Amino acid sequence: GLILLFYLVFYGFLAALFTFTMWVMLQTLSSDIPKYRDRISSPGLMISPKPDTALEFYFNKSDAQSYAEYVSTLRKFLESYDDSKQSQNINCTPGRIFDQNDVAVKKACRFNLSELGQCSGKEDKTFGYSKGTPCVLVKMNRIIGLKPEGEPHIHCASKEEGTVEINYFPPEGLIDLMYFPYYGKSLHAHYLQPLVAVQLAINSNSTKEEIAIECKILGSPNLKNEDDRDKFLGRVAFKVQMTE
Amino acid sequence: IQDDHKLSTSELEEKYGTSVDKGLSSARAAEILARDGPNALTPPKATPEIVKLLKQMVGGFSILLWIGAVFSWISFGIQLAQGAESPFDNLYLGVVLALVVILTGIFAYYQEAKSTNIMASFSKMIPQHALVIRDAKRKELPADQLVVGDIVEIKGGDRIPADVRLIFTQGCKVDNSSLTGESEPQSRSCDFTHDNPLETKNIAFYSTTCVEGTATGIVINTGDRTVIGRIASLASGVGNEKTPIAIEIEHFVYLVAGVAISIGVIFFIISVSMRYKILDSLIFLIGIIVANVPEGLLATVTVSLSLTAKRMAKKNCLVKNLEAVETLGSTSIICSDKTGTLTQNRMTVAHLWFDNQIYSADTSEDQTTQPFDQSSPSWTALSKIVTLCNRAEFRPGQENLPIMKRVVVGDASETALLKFAEVILGDVMSIRARNKKVAEIPFNSTNKFQLSIHETEDPNDKRFLLVMKGAPERILERCSTIMINGKEEPLDSEKAEAFQTAYMELGGMGERVLGFCHLYLPENDFPDTYPFDTDSMNFPTSNLCFVGLLSMIDPPRSTVPDAVSKCRSAGIKVIMVTGDHPITAKAIAKSVGIISATSETVEDIAKRLNIPVEQVNRREATAAVVNGMELKDMSLQQLDEILCNHSEIVFARTSPQQKLIIVEGCQRQGAVVAVTGDGVNDSPALKKADIGIAMGIAGSDAAKNAADMVLLDDNFASIVTGVEEGRLIFDNLKKTIAYTLTKNIAELCPFLIYIIASIPMPIGTITILFIDLGTDIIPSVALAYEKAESDIMNRRPRNKRKDRLVNEQLAVYSYLQIGIMQSVGAFVTYFTVYAEQGFLPSTLLGVRVDWENNAINDFEDSYGQEWTKYQRMYLQWTGYTAFFVSITIQQVADLIIRKTRRNSIFQQGLFRNKVIWVGIFSQIGIALILSYGLGHVTALNFTPLRFQYWFVAVPFAILIWVYDEVRKLLIRRYPGSWWDKNMYY
Repeated sequence: GLILLFYLVFYGFLAALFTFTMWVMLQTLSSDIPKYRDRISSPGLMISPKPDTALEFYFNKSDAQSYAEYVSTLRKFLESYDDSKQSQNINCTPGRIFDQNDVAVKKACRFNLSELGQCSGKEDKTFGYSKGTPCVLVKMNRIIGLKPEGEPHIHCASKEEGTVEINYFPPEGLIDLMYFPYYGKSLHAHYLQPLVAVQLAINSNSTKEEIAIECKILGSPNLKNEDDRDKFLGRVAFKVQMTE
Repeated sequence: IQDDHKLSTSELEEKYGTSVDKGLSSARAAEILARDGPNALTPPKATPEIVKLLKQMVGGFSILLWIGAVFSWISFGIQLAQGAESPFDNLYLGVVLALVVILTGIFAYYQEAKSTNIMASFSKMIPQHALVIRDAKRKELPADQLVVGDIVEIKGGDRIPADVRLIFTQGCKVDNSSLTGESEPQSRSCDFTHDNPLETKNIAFYSTTCVEGTATGIVINTGDRTVIGRIASLASGVGNEKTPIAIEIEHFVYLVAGVAISIGVIFFIISVSMRYKILDSLIFLIGIIVANVPEGLLATVTVSLSLTAKRMAKKNCLVKNLEAVETLGSTSIICSDKTGTLTQNRMTVAHLWFDNQIYSADTSEDQTTQPFDQSSPSWTALSKIVTLCNRAEFRPGQENLPIMKRVVVGDASETALLKFAEVILGDVMSIRARNKKVAEIPFNSTNKFQLSIHETEDPNDKRFLLVMKGAPERILERCSTIMINGKEEPLDSEKAEAFQTAYMELGGMGERVLGFCHLYLPENDFPDTYPFDTDSMNFPTSNLCFVGLLSMIDPPRSTVPDAVSKCRSAGIKVIMVTGDHPITAKAIAKSVGIISATSETVEDIAKRLNIPVEQVNRREATAAVVNGMELKDMSLQQLDEILCNHSEIVFARTSPQQKLIIVEGCQRQGAVVAVTGDGVNDSPALKKADIGIAMGIAGSDAAKNAADMVLLDDNFASIVTGVEEGRLIFDNLKKTIAYTLTKNIAELCPFLIYIIASIPMPIGTITILFIDLGTDIIPSVALAYEKAESDIMNRRPRNKRKDRLVNEQLAVYSYLQIGIMQSVGAFVTYFTVYAEQGFLPSTLLGVRVDWENNAINDFEDSYGQEWTKYQRMYLQWTGYTAFFVSITIQQVADLIIRKTRRNSIFQQGLFRNKVIWVGIFSQIGIALILSYGLGHVTALNFTPLRFQYWFVAVPFAILIWVYDEVRKLLIRRYPGSWWDKNMYY
């Protein structure tokens, strides 16, 4: 009996102590930006849709069922970019870093879906999958305070030449500097990260083949894309296999 | 045994096909050698080295780690088949685990082997040679080439090379002590004197020594067929019992393995029922096993034991079997030999009687003068007899040695007298040279005296001096006068009475008494040219002048009384077992304190109350002197009763075989028994005892083989220092284990919480191994250097059944209190690291699946930032490092609190044990190297940690220290309370 009481008190005390120290520790943190950001100095690249199994797309362009999931994922992903959701976003000056350090309420820049052209899902509801020109959206990971230098743009290449023709929206895969820096979830609630749509026009003689594509961020000296260990730092590789 | 002792020489020649004059032919000898094998004892069967090594690798926790390794390989196989991205992690983990087992196994084996090697070099003998007649020529042969039928010649100082039937002897005496325990040399002749071959005088036994004289004999037994050989093989038949510490460690291994397996299985079931994949659950199971098993502990224990063994070797206790170190500490009864162990093993003059008065002599080991009154002219006369009537001589070339250390040729009594005279008078040899010897009759058993006639050193005195010594009553018979204060007085009945009283008193002290008398032969009847003839005895041998008595004893070593009283306060019963006479045994027992001054035996009480022995209440007698003859007729119950009822026991006139019975009797009382022994016949008792202690100087090889420990200086006091070390190491091992077990909880909790709360893994399996086999090793060895908290020689020996090495309190306190505190401290650091990088604790719960998904490279943190898989992994390794560092920091506190179990650290002294600080610095140093030095080696999963994270756990470390101080304070304040019972380990 006594021993149970002892442990009740003992563990009660430890739990209280744990809670207290955690509370003290959390008090030292800001709710706006994390204390340290050195572990993510350079952003990773990611694509959407993101297949469940590693980054490999398998679909039959004549079988709507085979790419239905990709399409719905894209649709869902682009929902937040819908004009109706961007009513309070402002039009910023393109090509310039949008510094808002002195402003209490950080504004988000508008990203028009139309910039994604054929991949916006407006004209082609299947994002090109039914035509054998599938769209893949490439985005750069959000990192608070990141200010890319130069003219960052996405460039994709297939490992084997001539298997696929690549189109970018916006043109040349440009990522506009006006979307930077990011101020964090709580200060920058409506922030939308810029997207680059990559449309793959797969050559008809390359169907049934697995096409390996690697996209990189280029043109910016402070965005890394050649890290040995991190295969997603400033680049992303995926495979596409389309049948007819 | 055969009846060779009954046969005549010619019958023997016929039986063995040999000839007394010519010996065997070389060809025949070679044939027999081929048939019988060499004349050497088969060494006890040694376990093959490879088996020993393998045993180290499957014993203890190794099995658990092997299981872990096999599971790792299985999951590697499965993952490989499934084509997962990084299956090799598990392959490496399995390899690492296997390596850990193999390396710690090799390490333990090496430690064992090192201590065994000391023994091996120790027992290596100088090859013996024997003088043999073969092909009618005398040859020197190695003793192991002897065969049955060989004719061997033996002279004083030789070891008897085989069992030999003697056919010619001249003044031959053998020392059978290694066989029978009897320390008196026994004479040998060619006569068949006893039916029992062991008692008859015409057989000399293998491994005994010829003390003096010469002999020739026929070899009748060789090698293992000799009497000694048969006893030795008997001893190897007595099984080796498990040592107490081995039992304790086994108990501890079971306990920890039990905890590991049950937690492992419970969480395997939990994780399976939480819909984890079987493969993942299997990997969790490996982690739990690795976290639970203190990989480095058994190696640490071995090192601690061998450190103590080294320390003991310096104090003259050479430990053959490492575990015996602790056994000595738990000893509750020591059965000690008398001769050589409690005593100095040399006759020394203890008392003198002249001028109607008894004088005591100094019997200490390093005497240089004698303090008794030497002014009386009677002493001058007596000293002259002592000097002259003595055949013993110093071996030449020892002038620089202290007198007591010099080697003497001669028997024990004469040696004692020679050294006694040398101490008082100086150069005895030159005195003898100045008083030239003209005739001599050596001592023989019919006369019981020794006589010699000398010229005197005074050139004006032309008389001869006849000096005689011998059995006092025989000497007195030959005297008509007695010297009092230098004057001859008639020996009347009153003076004879005084002699009797003195003789009885000295004899009653267990001393060997010799009488001395002299006579100046009248110059007229015995001119310088007088032809003395010792055969016809043409000189007076009666009406001599009695001068005095000298009594000798083998005195106790000067350090022994102290050691015995230490044993007493340590609750250890000391039992003397000797082949000597009860009176001598009792006298020595009294003088060293085995029988205390106030206690009485049944016989003493009977004598005091003047009633028959039967009427004495046996319970009143605390002491007992048991004769070997009585012991022979005793039932086991009677023996148990004696061992139980008397606290002070002396067994006298016992044979080495009876020693085994006594040891078994003590073990029936539940005691841990230490036994000393030197003879071959002691080996069964040495084996049977919980710890057999062989004498390093006097001990036979068989005894040393059977023993667990060798006493290099043959001194009883060394055993007591050994006991002290043994007790200390037991206490310190407790501390080491408590220290080691604590952090296992801090290693285990991460896995459990990882499984249940699905947070990112707080600590990796490899990281755990770095704690167990890296930072923690030196500190846990350092605890072996901790000084005792109180006088460990003032408490009773530990109770084998109750005082466990790892008791419930130790496990509970380490696991459920300090271990949990450490875990809390480490988790605070872990959460701090994640929170400051952007993952608040609330975000971390339940993220495991996504967190570990290689395809998710935009994992969102609490601030909306997105992380690639590698960035998350790097953060996870930072978490490992932080968790590791926190455990290390808190282990420093754990190390400090484990220095004592009851006393405050400040009583014990924070800086007294310097090795602890070496441990602390090594611990922190290794952690620094791992984090900053090897932080860039990805495979090790360490990262260079932000400096402030080293201090997050410091408050918890301080809390651990404060909490433990409070615990100890309450234990000291309220002994016997609920707190004491539950919190003292």
